Amino acid sequence: MGLLDHYRQYQALSESEVTEELKRVSAERKAKALEKVEPVDLSRTTWPGLPHPYVVNSITYAARRGLNRYADPRATELRAEIAHRHEVEATRVVVGNGIAQLMSSAATVLLEPLDEVVTAWPSYPLYPQLARRARGHAVPVPGFGAERLLAAVNDRTRIVVVCNPNDPTGELMSLEELDHLLGSLPERVVTFLDEALVDYADPERMPDDGSLRLLERHERLLVFRTLSKAWGLAGLRCGYAIGPEDSQALLEQLEPDLGVDELAQAGALEALRSTMPRVAKGIATVRGQRERVVEALRGGPIEVQPSQANVLWMRARGMDGAELARRLELHGVIVAPGGALNQPDYIRASVHLPQHAERLMHALEQETER
Amino acid sequence: MRTDPTDTGGLFVSRRPGTRPVRYREVPERSQGGRRVVDSIVAGALLVFMGLVAVCFWGPIPMAWLWIGAQVKYHTDSISLFIVVAFLGMLLTLLAGLALMRRIDQFWILVRRAAGHDQRSGAIGPVFAVAAVIGVTLFTIWLVFIAGLQPSLAPSK
Repeated sequence: MGLLDHYRQYQALSESEVTEELKRVSAERKAKALEKVEPVDLSRTTWPGLPHPYVVNSITYAARRGLNRYADPRATELRAEIAHRHEVEATRVVVGNGIAQLMSSAATVLLEPLDEVVTAWPSYPLYPQLARRARGHAVPVPGFGAERLLAAVNDRTRIVVVCNPNDPTGELMSLEELDHLLGSLPERVVTFLDEALVDYADPERMPDDGSLRLLERHERLLVFRTLSKAWGLAGLRCGYAIGPEDSQALLEQLEPDLGVDELAQAGALEALRSTMPRVAKGIATVRGQRERVVEALRGGPIEVQPSQANVLWMRARGMDGAELARRLELHGVIVAPGGALNQPDYIRASVHLPQHAERLMHALEQETER
Repeated sequence: MRTDPTDTGGLFVSRRPGTRPVRYREVPERSQGGRRVVDSIVAGALLVFMGLVAVCFWGPIPMAWLWIGAQVKYHTDSISLFIVVAFLGMLLTLLAGLALMRRIDQFWILVRRAAGHDQRSGAIGPVFAVAAVIGVTLFTIWLVFIAGLQPSLAPSK
């Protein structure tokens, strides 16, 4: 090394050279990140986006305000907001730790040993479980429809559970059919209407709060809603039930013993007050993407049912659901095989964001071309 | 320095100017022991040389060009040419001197780094300021005590 070279090696990079190098490093990092395709999980029905910052701020504020004390056990403010939103009296609303807790409490209150819980099948797997936990007997009815359910009702039937739209099939029972079902059930039978996914139904087929109007004519109906799906707040575990007039005594028995925790109350309240535009946008996206996927798969080797939910229930000819799910997973698309619901031919894929729908369609196309 | 937004009232404060780490093209082979002493001496010598160049701005260079201008006037008998040569030459020499100092200053930074110092900025500013003080002081001493304040063309008593 020459004399000057010894000193030149201490020469620093100029600003422009540093910037160029940073750009190059950034481009390399980006290219590497793009090479790796993260799997997309379409086996869940929860919203894939992060919660609205207003909700997070509200929860943070509630936490700082005082977690040292008990929350309002009756969730008075939240119930009032829900009641205002659905135009019912606050006494007809009960808030719980998700639909699961409310429905389970209701089953425990209503069921006597060996009473029967009738539900369409395949449907949400919680229903048979809640019947067993309450020492009742689950009666899954193949298919979806009022007449099928009515045919399964007998003297021991105490509860009929309708998941509307149905998870996983996406089928929707119209208001007229629901009205017919409720009007035909014996007096002893209470109907649980699980509307966890109702926000995604087309408004022409299921008007906003259309099912709540049924409460005016049917006294033995409980409608369950949640903030876990379209509202994107599954982590809060917050749901509510609305009952008919004079149902206050029953609804109070569904409440958690010491109420819903304060953070969930604060987040849910803020979500209902401030985030409706964003939720509506998400719902519109789901409706559009749902139609797009169904249309794209129509006439092909994948058989997919029209859906009114954020899920598509589909099967491939000549391939069982577990195998199709395994193959899709190789393409980085995770779906729920129907085997757990005794429907081994089917898979359930959720539909939310356009990029997820594209990944699903691309993976299905690749697999069915093989 | 506190840069955490929770310490600064929510403001994000970035790195203080001049504290950015120096980025080399390649990690230099650091010299040790005697070589560092030599580098320190070289750096000191460069600083002294820069100082001498800067001091020249305040006396030797103007005087030299006035003398050259006077020679031109003697041979051409043109006062205009005297002014042009003296002042243009003075100006160009000052600019060339500044350029030379700038290059020496850059090299001085490298030598200081080689001597083991985290040298980020040059010394041209302080050197110029110190040289100005020295030059003005020497000029004042010469003017007051050596040349005298009386006009040289006026008749003496």
